[in-house]
This record gives sequence, structure tokens and C-alpha cells, in this order.
Amino acid sequence: MTTVAIASNELRELYARETAAIQQEFSVTGDGRVAVEHRTAVVDSLLLKLWNEILSTDPAGPRGFALVATGGFGRSRLYPHSDIDLLFLNTDGDAEEEFKDAIRRLCQELWDLRLKLSPATRTLSECEKLDPNNVEFSISLLDCRYLAGDRELFSRLHEKAVPRLIGHECKNLVQNLGDLTRSRHHKFGNTVFHLEPNVKDGPGGLRDYNVAYWLALISAIEKLQTWPDAKTLLPVSARKTLEATTDFQMSVRCFLHFRYGRQDNALSWEAQDEAAARKIGARDLEISSAADWMRLYFGHARAVHRVCTQLLEEIQAAWPSLSRQLQSWRSRVSTPDFSVVDGLVFLQNPASLQDPEMLLRLFHFMAEHGVKLSTTTEYKIEQALPSLAATPPRGGELWLYLQETLVQPHAADALRAMNALRLLPLLLPELKGIEALVVRDFYHRFTVDEHSFLAIEHLHRLKESKSEGDQRFGELLSEIEQPELLYLALLLHDSGKQAQDDNHIKTSLLLAESCAERLDLDPQDRETLEYLVASHLEMSVAMRRDIFDPGNVKVFAEKVGAPERLKMLCLMTYADIKAVNQEAMTPWKADSLWQLYIASANYLSRSADERVHADDHASNLAHLHSLAPVAGKKINSFLDGLPQRYLRIHGASDVIMHAEMAAQLGKDPIQLGLKQVRQWYELTLITTDRPALFASVSGALAAWGMNIVKANAFSNSAGVVVDTFYFTDRFRTLELNLPEWERLKKNIADVIAGKADVARMLQDRARSDKSQGPKVKIKTRIDFDDESSAHSTLLQVLTQDRPGLLYKMCSQISKLGCNIEIALIETEGQLAIDVLYLTSQGAKLSPDQRGALAKAIREELGVK
Amino acid sequence: MTKVEAIIQVSKLDAVKDALQEIGVEGMTVFEARGHGRQKGHTEVYRGREYTVDLIPKVKLEVVLADEMVEKAVDAIVTAARTGKIGDGKIFYSRIDEAIRIRNGERGDGAL
Repeated sequence: MTTVAIASNELRELYARETAAIQQEFSVTGDGRVAVEHRTAVVDSLLLKLWNEILSTDPAGPRGFALVATGGFGRSRLYPHSDIDLLFLNTDGDAEEEFKDAIRRLCQELWDLRLKLSPATRTLSECEKLDPNNVEFSISLLDCRYLAGDRELFSRLHEKAVPRLIGHECKNLVQNLGDLTRSRHHKFGNTVFHLEPNVKDGPGGLRDYNVAYWLALISAIEKLQTWPDAKTLLPVSARKTLEATTDFQMSVRCFLHFRYGRQDNALSWEAQDEAAARKIGARDLEISSAADWMRLYFGHARAVHRVCTQLLEEIQAAWPSLSRQLQSWRSRVSTPDFSVVDGLVFLQNPASLQDPEMLLRLFHFMAEHGVKLSTTTEYKIEQALPSLAATPPRGGELWLYLQETLVQPHAADALRAMNALRLLPLLLPELKGIEALVVRDFYHRFTVDEHSFLAIEHLHRLKESKSEGDQRFGELLSEIEQPELLYLALLLHDSGKQAQDDNHIKTSLLLAESCAERLDLDPQDRETLEYLVASHLEMSVAMRRDIFDPGNVKVFAEKVGAPERLKMLCLMTYADIKAVNQEAMTPWKADSLWQLYIASANYLSRSADERVHADDHASNLAHLHSLAPVAGKKINSFLDGLPQRYLRIHGASDVIMHAEMAAQLGKDPIQLGLKQVRQWYELTLITTDRPALFASVSGALAAWGMNIVKANAFSNSAGVVVDTFYFTDRFRTLELNLPEWERLKKNIADVIAGKADVARMLQDRARSDKSQGPKVKIKTRIDFDDESSAHSTLLQVLTQDRPGLLYKMCSQISKLGCNIEIALIETEGQLAIDVLYLTSQGAKLSPDQRGALAKAIREELGVK
Repeated sequence: MTKVEAIIQVSKLDAVKDALQEIGVEGMTVFEARGHGRQKGHTEVYRGREYTVDLIPKVKLEVVLADEMVEKAVDAIVTAARTGKIGDGKIFYSRIDEAIRIRNGERGDGAL
């Protein structure tokens, strides 16, 4: 060992000169690959000089000790401010002791040169063992490169120790590498699409490229028991893509290091502007804005992320048994069209993708089972796209598949895959402009498209959330009648951000209209979709007011109008806030949102009797008149005196139909309409009011074995009743026997006209009904409210749903001489929620009447 | 230098922010907070379940000011946040020894 003083100044000057030359060269060429290789060579030569001075003038000496480059330095990828990973390799402990001072001195000299050093000292046998607390060290050995010292010792490390380590610990290494990668991805929200991404550690960053390379390397060494040809290591399909991608990313990372003057890999907005202006990594491309350049960045990052995650899944041998069982389970979901192997979908008949329907079914399958596309399936899809682009599916057929996909638990992943393959913007061109779009604000952390997918994902996750705070929103989601419209609204809600003006909602609404047209949505669904997109910020705005002030609640609730819309808007607000960034939905915000929801929901139940007046100029009336100009006066007189609530829950086409039915009452005093709507049947009754009308119809439906899940009863100032019953057909009577539709209507008309005895019909049904008791016991609660309505007493009954419940309750109400002015009936699972506005001889119920009614209902229902 | 902490109603945040900006206070830190003083909780019954909010959502706003600005800022907050009802909130202030701008190391009033 020498004690000659080192010419530190000379080395420092050399290093500074070379660093400046690298920076200068990079500023001219923008070539990151050249820059990192150049810096590696500079540091190599510095180390050799120091080695000569401190350890041995013979670069291959002394025996039993070697200097080894590992990690990024070993790969010859030394970025301008990267750490230098060095391994001081000894044959054994004695050698380690012998070279201790020399190692210390060499490190000191490097630190004096202001190089950031990550040194490790190990014996050869230590390198063969996997240290569970420092897996990173074993992984860094995969890139080991000889620098100086005992070449034979290095050769033993490279040729024997590392392959042996992999031979013994392959599964553990892959497992640990997978865990580290997944935890790193999780830290970044498992998405590439950050507004200010980290080009090294973020998903799709350079670290992912390294992980893909290491996985392939470990797998190959395990098979071959020796080092494979590094150039042919990655799958052919990935190799070409990744070559261009790594060139781009290397240039970006060098640019960032030079720009910040330190190891900082965050692509900030300012850096994005500069990178776009300097066309970093994109010299020959047309780049007109930072958004264009970022799209390029995301394209590359997405490719790296895809290869990395695919390899993680494909190298399955090291997976733990539980995961393997899960994968085996997934393989059981194979169908005649798709086979699933290790969580990846393959096509049973690759030519089948020429049929657009098969393509749509494939993504529905993904969304349902949470499986990913195999590389070959992705390739087949890419091949099928040009012919699909000529005549993309649209209209009802497209909506049918899309809605089925949106409601599946893994819809967000399926949408991401469709987007990555450019299928989504092909099917819904309205989304084209938000693809990988960075819109800069201080809250959002993800690109606009990813924000929308995340919002959908957060809603789906509610179903399995164990958090009490989330469960209340999860229950709400399970009550939504058309969740597909909610998911579609989330997909489109920020599409207007492509216009990059101050009011994205206006553009989002136009795009939602265009999308509704493309999917041929029916008028009511279209109205709901457009309402949700146009109002998606309304509840957030209302949360900034005093949510405990009844006045504010009233204004907000009236603006929303209908309970179903309120539920959808609440969930949309929840998902939208939660997808802004990982911390955005604080318990504070979630509680405020819930409080506003329940206060508004209660307001809507308690204010249902505010009446429509024929001379109202409300916008909904104007809308009706525009739809039915000829019937304008008839509609006015029909609507006069109906509660505002009626207009809020019935769409324009329904109202026009009801008015027309009312106009026919002279010919037939009992007008009945029956149709199937989604999962249930809808019976509409228009007639003049009469005692026990609501109870009779409820009883007749129950006697037919129908389960009423929802009902509304309203009447206008002329005494015309509009009752709507939504029911499921427990015994599939209507589904299997078409003539029964007419027979049911006739029977109900007979019951109303007093020609049929509903009580007897119910007794017959009770004798034949063998349905089992309820699985969940719900305690009955009966409440009266005299405050909310000016004219009626509100009765709210929460109880266990059961056949004939509504009939039993309503017949007691009639028996006690009370009139049902409005009925709002809902069923949520086993819970029946019935709100009835009651009067007795035109006035509110007296305390005695309320007591008697509560007692009668309790007795009738058999509850205490 | 003085730190002014104001606990105000959520609905008054925008008005208070505007009022402070009008008198030249640009920077502030806002926290989501919950609490109550004399104002008690709120109970809402929804589907038979009682949802009681004992601690009402509020926002807490913090500004550190040069001493000569303190009274003006307090007046601005009081005027903008007051409704006259229970629950309008509170303002506290306390001495601050030093302020340092991290970007350039600037100290004292200039760092505010």
C-alpha cells in the first residue's frame, strides 16, 4: 500500500473539465445515452488513477481484492448526478482487514472530489448469500462490472457466485423485486399518468426498465446457469419499443440533472416547458407545446410500464402459493372465446377479432374477471384496429357492451387497456382530446384521462371497502338504479378540459351530448347523463357553504330535484374528489359530503307536496311545452296542483304520456299502462281519486306475487290521481306468459272498480306462497312529522320488506279515514322505506289519530 | 412578527381570503378543522339511523404578519367572517421570533 499524496486538485480539475464537456455536448446533441456513457468513462478513469496511487500501480493487483462497479455504474449508465455504486470485493475476512485503510482512503478521495459514493465491502461468499434486509445489494450485483484489482476474483464473482446466488434464490429475488416494484408503484398511485412524473422511480420510469431487464436476466440465468446474451434478453416484441423509449428517458433524466444541478428526477411543469422548447429526446419530431411533449413522454412511460408489469406477471415460478392459487382460479374463467393463463387473456381464435363485437366482449371479460391482456392478444388487437376504424361500432349495440363493461368491478383497468391500445378514443372520439392530457393546477396529480379512470375505480372499490366512512357511500352505490350512467358521466365529466378554457363544464356537456347521440341513449338516460356532467361540481360548491343551514340545504336540494339524482351526484362528487390525488378525500370532506347528502335527501322527502301551478314559468314547464306545443293547454291543466316532486321524478316523455292518458278518462275512467323498464316492471295508473285506491292496487299486485320496490302517488287539483308502481315479478308470470300482461291490467281495473275482492285474492296468494323468512331482521320504526308540510302529516315507516306490506299499511290508513295525498315508497334490500303524506278530512292528523294509526300499523305488521 | 390563527366557518373562507388579499395579505395556510365552542352539535336522522355531528366542520386559517399589519388583518377577518350567530369562530394571535424563506434564506419581515 502506498502513502503517496494524491494530486486531488489535478483530479478535481480533470473531473470538472470533463463534466463541463459532457454538459456542453449534451446541450448540443441532447443525446442522453452518450452523456451517461461518457460520465461512466470519466469516473472509471478517475477511479483507476486513484487505484494506482493508493493500492497498486498494477491495475490487476493486488491479489485477493478487486474494485467492482455495481448498479447503474455497473451498467455504464452514470447520469450527471447519480450515485456511484462501488463494491470492494475481498476473498475473505483477512483480506478485508488488510485493505481497510486503503478503502477508507479511496472513498475519502472520491468524496473530496464531490462524488456521491455508495460503497459496499463484501467477501465473495457474502455475495453468494441473499441478505433479506438488503435485497437491493444482491440485485445490484446483476450489473457488476470489473474495474480494477484481482481479475480472477472478479471472475469468480461474475461467473460463479452470482449465477449460484440466482440458482439458490431465484424465487426470493423475483418475489422481493416484485414486492419492491409494487410498493414503489403504489407510492405513485399505480399510474404512469402523473402531472409531474418522476422519470426514475415513477411507474413507467427508468427503474421499471431496469426491473424488466433484471427479471428477464434472473429468469435466463436460472435456466442457463450462466450469463445470457444481454442483447437478446428481453422478448423480441418489447426490445424494439424499449430501445427508443430508454433513449428518450435517458435524455430526459440527463436534462433534469443538468437543469437542477442535482439528482432530482421530477419532471416539474417548468421543466416540461423547457424540455418541450428544447425538444429533449424528440429532436426530429413536431412538438408544438409542453402538452405534446408530455404525450410523447407518457407514450414511452406507458410502454415501459406495460413490459415491466407483464414480465412481473409472466415470471410466475417465484410467485407465492396463494397467488398461484388465485391465478389457477383465474384460469378456470376461460370461455370458448378466451383462455386465461396466469391471469393473462389469450384468444381461442385470433381471427375472431375481425368481429367488433368480439373485441367489445374481450374488454367486458377483462372488466369482469380482473385479468390482463397477453402480449399476443394486444398485438392482435392492434392489427384489428385499422379495419375497425373504418366502421367503428356505435349506437345501441356499442352502448350495450359499454354499459355492461362499465358496471364490472375491474372496469377501470379495462378502460385503461382500451385507452392504451387507442381503442377507447376510436369508439368514443369525445375522449380523444384528454388522452394523457396534463392540465396544470395545484390539486390534480394525474392526467385528465387517468383522473376519470381513477374516479370509476374508486366507486367500484367502495363495494369491498371495510372502512365505515366508505361503507355509507357503498350502500348508496348499491341503491343506484342505473349505475352505468353514473360511470359514463364520470368518464366524460372532465372531457371538456381538452378545450383548455376556464369553463370546461360547457365543453364537457357538449361532448356528453355528442356521446349520448353516438350511443343512441334514450331521452331520459340522455337527460340524466347531461345533468350529471353539467352539475358535477355543484355539490362541491354547496359543501363550501354552511351545510347545516336549512336555507342552503333547501337551495341545493331544490336544484338537484330528485332523490335518485342526488344519490348519483353525491357519488360522483365522492369519486371526483377522491381521484384528484391520494389525500384529497379527507375524512373531513367525506363527512361534510355525507351530511349534505342526508340533509338534502331528507329535505326532498319532506318537501314533496309543494305544488305546481298552471301559471308557473319554471324551466321544466317550458321544456314540456316545447315538446308538446299542441297539447300545451292540456298539459297545463293536468299539471295544475300536482306536487313539484312529480315533475322531478318523471321525464318529459312520461309527463306527456300521463297527460294524454288523463285526457282519455272520459272514455275509460281507469287508465292503466304497463311496461318493462330495466330490471323491473312499471305500472302507471291514472284515474279519479277514490278511497283506498293506493291500498287496492298495492294489494292486487301483491296478490299476483309481484314485489313492489318503489311507488309514487300524486294527485292534481282536479282530483286526478297519477300512481306509479315499480315491481319485480317474483314468479316470472309476465315474462313467461304474454297474455298475462292484459289479464293483470284487467284484474287491477276490476279491483279499483270494486268488481274483484282484493282481500280474498291476497288470502289465496298467502296459501300458495311458500317464500322463506327474511335473512336480515330489520326493526320497525314509525315516525310522524307535522313540521315539514303545510297541509299534511308525514308518516315515515321503516320496516322489514315483505309480501303485501304496502297493502297492509295502506288499508289501515284507509280504515282510519285518512287520505294518502302523496306516497313515496322505496325498498333498499330488505328495508322498506315508506313516506306517506296523510290528511284527514283535508287537515293534518290529530295526536290521537297519529297514535291510533301507529298502533294499527304495528298490529297489522305484527311488530311491537 | 405575529401569527394570527382564525377558526372560521367553512362558508366564510372565500370572503376572508378576499378581505385579506384586499389589505395586502397574500399568503396564508388553511387547514380543515372540526370543533365547537358554545355552538353545539347537529343531529340528522336518515333512514332510521342518527347521524350526530358533535364537532362541526370549520376551517383554520394561519397567517404570519408584520406587527403593523395585525390589527388591519384581524379587522378584515372579523368583518368578513361575522354572521352574528353562535359558531362564527375565534381569532388567536401569538408572537413569532423569526421567519425564514426557504428558497433564498431571507429572514425577518421580508420573508413573510
